[in-house]
Amino acid sequence: MNILTEILGAIATIILAFTVGMFYGGTVRRVIARLQNRVGPPIYQNFIDLLKLQSKSTSIHHGAMQHMGPVFAITASITSLMFVPILNGEGWFWFENLNFSGDLIFLLYMMVFGSLGMALGAGQTGNPNSAIGVSRGLSQMVGYEIPFVMALVALMAQFHTTSITGIMDIQSESGTWMMFANPFAFITAVFAMLGMFHYAPFDIVIAPAEIASGPISEFGGKYLGVMMTSGSIFAFVKLVLYVDLFMGGASNLVMLVIKTFSLYMIPVLWGAVSPRYRTEQAITYFWKWPLVFGFIAIVWAIY
Amino acid sequence: MSFLLNKIVPALRDVFNVAVMLFVSFFFYSHMGNTAVTNIYIGGLQLQWGLTAAGNLFSIIVLVLGLLAIIYSTSYMKGKERLGYFYFNFLLSIGSMLGILMSRDLVSLFIFWEIMTWSSYFIVIYSGKNVDKRGLKYFIFSAIGAYAMLMGIVLAYSYIGSFLLDDVFLSFPALGYYRQISISILLMVGFGVKTAMMPLHVWAPDAYSESPMSFTVLFSGALSKMGVFGFALVMFNLLNPSSQIIYDVIGWMGAITAVLATFYAVVQKDAKKLLAYSSVAQLGYIVVALSINTYLSVMAGLYLAVLHAIFKGTLFMAVGAVEKQAGTTDMTKVSGLIRKMPWTFLATLISIISLAGIPPLGGFIGKWMLYESLVSSGHYFLIIMIFLSSTAAFLYCYRILFGLFLGQEEEETAHVKEAPISMLIPMLILAGLSILSGAFPGFIFKPVQQAMLNFGFGDLLPKLNWWEFTVLFNAWGDKIVIHNIWISIIVVFLVGLAFITIKGWKNQRYVTTKDISSSGEIIRPEDNMTFQQNFYRPIERAVWPLMKRQIDDYYHAFARGLESLFEFTRRIYMGNGQMYALFVVIFLVILLLGGSQFFGF
Repeated sequence: MNILTEILGAIATIILAFTVGMFYGGTVRRVIARLQNRVGPPIYQNFIDLLKLQSKSTSIHHGAMQHMGPVFAITASITSLMFVPILNGEGWFWFENLNFSGDLIFLLYMMVFGSLGMALGAGQTGNPNSAIGVSRGLSQMVGYEIPFVMALVALMAQFHTTSITGIMDIQSESGTWMMFANPFAFITAVFAMLGMFHYAPFDIVIAPAEIASGPISEFGGKYLGVMMTSGSIFAFVKLVLYVDLFMGGASNLVMLVIKTFSLYMIPVLWGAVSPRYRTEQAITYFWKWPLVFGFIAIVWAIY
Repeated sequence: MSFLLNKIVPALRDVFNVAVMLFVSFFFYSHMGNTAVTNIYIGGLQLQWGLTAAGNLFSIIVLVLGLLAIIYSTSYMKGKERLGYFYFNFLLSIGSMLGILMSRDLVSLFIFWEIMTWSSYFIVIYSGKNVDKRGLKYFIFSAIGAYAMLMGIVLAYSYIGSFLLDDVFLSFPALGYYRQISISILLMVGFGVKTAMMPLHVWAPDAYSESPMSFTVLFSGALSKMGVFGFALVMFNLLNPSSQIIYDVIGWMGAITAVLATFYAVVQKDAKKLLAYSSVAQLGYIVVALSINTYLSVMAGLYLAVLHAIFKGTLFMAVGAVEKQAGTTDMTKVSGLIRKMPWTFLATLISIISLAGIPPLGGFIGKWMLYESLVSSGHYFLIIMIFLSSTAAFLYCYRILFGLFLGQEEEETAHVKEAPISMLIPMLILAGLSILSGAFPGFIFKPVQQAMLNFGFGDLLPKLNWWEFTVLFNAWGDKIVIHNIWISIIVVFLVGLAFITIKGWKNQRYVTTKDISSSGEIIRPEDNMTFQQNFYRPIERAVWPLMKRQIDDYYHAFARGLESLFEFTRRIYMGNGQMYALFVVIFLVILLLGGSQFFGF
């Protein structure tokens, strides 16, 4: 009984994350279209794309690692989802999952699991564009992970806990969101978020006009479908993590959607009006002002 | 004891070597619980040998790794010359490492240390190439370390009046502050050379990649751990919290080592060099962990020391297998070996996951403990440095997998076959240990806890069997539940794999890596499309201020300065140009400098 409800809860969480993530994807396409003076696709377009991809038959593969690459990606997305608290407060058993079994450090490492697995899959295809994309993506990761970790360390140092639920509890007890309790940490984290979502000016990994979509260029049909699902879930996980850490979590699903969506618009709108950086510019971008803000955030947290 | 046993064996045959190693291990383990000490008197000098719990932990590393490395070298060294020379030094270094771990006095510690240095030096110059350059670099730094250590030992003797470690530990706190500091620093310079701490690291990449891979397994896995062992002795048994500044300095030096060595590793083209720099960086983590000096951090440091021996042993073995089968480890020349050497790839993949600290394997447990101990003890800027280093480590982790095993299959590597079984078995055993240490870290925690008791930490580990350590806590009470992580990852992975494999399986077929989408251009089999040159050029550009001046350059400038000074002196005193080889001169100068200080004292 107990195990059964836990599995059902996990499945409910996955469906929620998937649905919200896919609708966000569609919305983003429409928002960017409007900014560029186009009409844009309907917001359920991503579901149609996924259906199309899954109904196609995939007839070739380049080996075992390529075959497993998308599986690594979705494993990382769903496992991270299991460890991130979706809602705060009591009575939300369905979304509890494994919230109390991991902490921020674990989550940091879990979140790179997928991209490394994906990179291995992309590597085996032998397409030079894939390798270039992976090289760019990993380099950029070194860039944005540093401000992100600085923001997290500032939070941990200020409140002496590394668990996400612990940070959420502190916010609901004091009634102050982290983005006001340590504003510099929030600013640093938002900088990191720009890189984390891979929208322009940091879309150097897929860079459609330069390296033909980079890592995913050899993936089609069911592989691309699984990766699209994984990407939607992962975007949702990252947004919920930010809401949990800096905006006090959400007490119900409506608030969750409002908060995550308003956060999501930061990288999207920034990206819609930006050209693309070169790779080393993208890396050093994160090592200038974000590091200064991160430094202030940690000093703020200590004193 | 085992040292003598090894010494009388002029090992020439493989079977014989394995038998010796097995016998020594067996002999050693049957005496494991034995805490008796042997006293030897030589001309009024008391030497004391005995095994402590700390020595026990490190001797497990030495023996397991030594046994696997010697099985591995039966195939690896096949067809090479002077095998007697190689195996003699191989066994001698294992014996001397056990000797270091068993010495209970400073004199035999120093003697075994020197034997270890000499035997490893002979293996570094085994290949006969670049002896004057690479071999001498290792030798000079070992000599500096040895002289520093000797001075430390002599100082300790003159203040305390005994060479026995127990006496030294007992009367050390009574010494004055400056005496304590000077002895500790001198000893730590000696140990720091072997752990390749940042200003003293320049020998390591060359020495690791020059010696045969079957010895590098031991070199990086076990021999460098002797330095860690020495560090632990100095930091926990000699120093006390009044010299907090030393801990801080050591910690920051370790962190700088980790960051710089990682960036050097990222830009390497040769897989052996890459792994060598990576070893330097990993030892940096271990030193940082030890220098924090809290219960969790020391546990993390010793755990990482064991883990590093496991996964870096596997990686050096795998790279050695590639070298043996494909002829080179230059990543710009080899690619696409995954279908030819699948088992080697599997071992490499597992140990890379462990090295990178990706959950759920063993490396993650070590990294988790390290971060938690850093953040909960208030080292907030140190944790940023370590995180920078370990994020940049993903780059070289991917580079080595991609460079050797993935990418396009070229015609030049068409002849490559899987490594022989005696090379695969040690690799796969070690890879299995990586997995086991992630699922059941308790089997490493147990001996680590014993060693920590020996270093003066309490017994804080819950009384559980080794398979029951499933929840880890930090100092603030936050936890991870290891088996929930495993269950989640395995279930999702299997479901995903089943879905993606079963769906449309019949219609799928394998196509070569030349058959890719390339905008209409047809790739012929002889076209080389692999992206390997300047793989991380963007990151090189981003971090060039760090890479611009290598520490090597400073040493070379120093050497040139000495050379001109010597030239000048010689012109005054000799008059005629009697030419010495450049490095011999420098070596003599350093000997004289070290010696004169020693005798002057």
